[in-house]
Amino acid sequence: MGSRVTLRTKGKGVKGAKASEEKSMIDSFKEWSTWTMKKAKVVTHYGFIPLIIIIGMNSDPKPQVYQLLSPV
Amino acid sequence: MAGLVPPGTTVKPDASTAKPKEEEKVDYMNLPCPIPYEEIHREALMSLKPELFEGLRFDFTKGLNQKFSLSHSVIMGPTEIPSQSTETIKIPTAHYEFGANYIDPKLMLIGRVLTDGRLNARVKCDLSDNLSLKANAQLTNEPHMSHGMINFDYKSAPGLTYPPPPPPPPKHKMQGKDYRTQFQFGNGALFGASYIQNVSPHLSLGGEVFWAGQHRKSGIGYAARYENDKMVATGQVASTGMVALSYVQKLSEKVSLATDLMYNYMSRDVTSSVGYDYILRQCRLRGKIDSNGCAAAYLEERLNMGLNFILSAEIDHRKKDYKFGFGLTVG
Repeated sequence: MGSRVTLRTKGKGVKGAKASEEKSMIDSFKEWSTWTMKKAKVVTHYGFIPLIIIIGMNSDPKPQVYQLLSPV
Repeated sequence: MAGLVPPGTTVKPDASTAKPKEEEKVDYMNLPCPIPYEEIHREALMSLKPELFEGLRFDFTKGLNQKFSLSHSVIMGPTEIPSQSTETIKIPTAHYEFGANYIDPKLMLIGRVLTDGRLNARVKCDLSDNLSLKANAQLTNEPHMSHGMINFDYKSAPGLTYPPPPPPPPKHKMQGKDYRTQFQFGNGALFGASYIQNVSPHLSLGGEVFWAGQHRKSGIGYAARYENDKMVATGQVASTGMVALSYVQKLSEKVSLATDLMYNYMSRDVTSSVGYDYILRQCRLRGKIDSNGCAAAYLEERLNMGLNFILSAEIDHRKKDYKFGFGLTVG
């Protein structure tokens, strides 16, 4: 029983290194994409409306800055 | 709905651009583009599901430019929160929403931000004559409560975009029948694809598949739409158990009647509703009654140029929930 156990662990040891390398590549990709999505969410959350305002203020005919705030 | 209306097409002609109808042989090689798959119930939704609200609503839209405008809205009223018991629990809330819109034929950006930090963003961009990109997102400060979705739409008829093209010379062949396809990607590993094609000047058929990774659900659905000048009938079936049928009859330029039926064959739940839509010169009145014992009405009255008065009422006899709202829209 004991020898069978040691055989099993030895087999795993040979394959284990390659599998863990692949796994860590997928894991790091997932981690990197989650980090990117988090940053993209924060950027969109704070920057979307200012982006629309900047694009709008630069379109033709160019509106004046005071028109942004005045109610008329 | 701008654009040239060649005779014998599925697009309802405007009074100003209608041409006299001639009996023409149907050219199956030259059918126009069908409407997008998600808008297949468009007429029924417009008549039967107006944006009912409760409380006060005040919208002010200030245009700085042809393309760019800012909007300010104040909404005060009770908001329903989901509760486990059968009673509806309402909490009075008030918020201010600031919005910016940039609308260009090629690019449309709409953003709305509320006082509690929630952002609703919509982007629509025409990458080319046939391909367009749409994205929308609801972002909140709370973690895991944000949603986003991005769609790529491809339509096969390059000629039917703004501005309308010059009429093609006779005997001009477009490439095959016209169709639209769409691919969707959303957060929570949501993937979807849909396809719709015009098989005759009046009939279009389509299908969709979706896969939601987070909820481990997938589904497939089919839809059909038949329309002519006076009526629109649509049907949609999905493997999630939903069957939706709708029928809209246009009695005249001002009046249309609509009815729809939603049946879920998994949960044996049926809802049917009947409604009317009066589009008059100074006002638009929509009313409907439901098989759940819910009657609703929505009135938009044009008091003056750019000034609209809105009244909304929804009476749910079964749940004894009465909602009345009034509002004013400026600009």
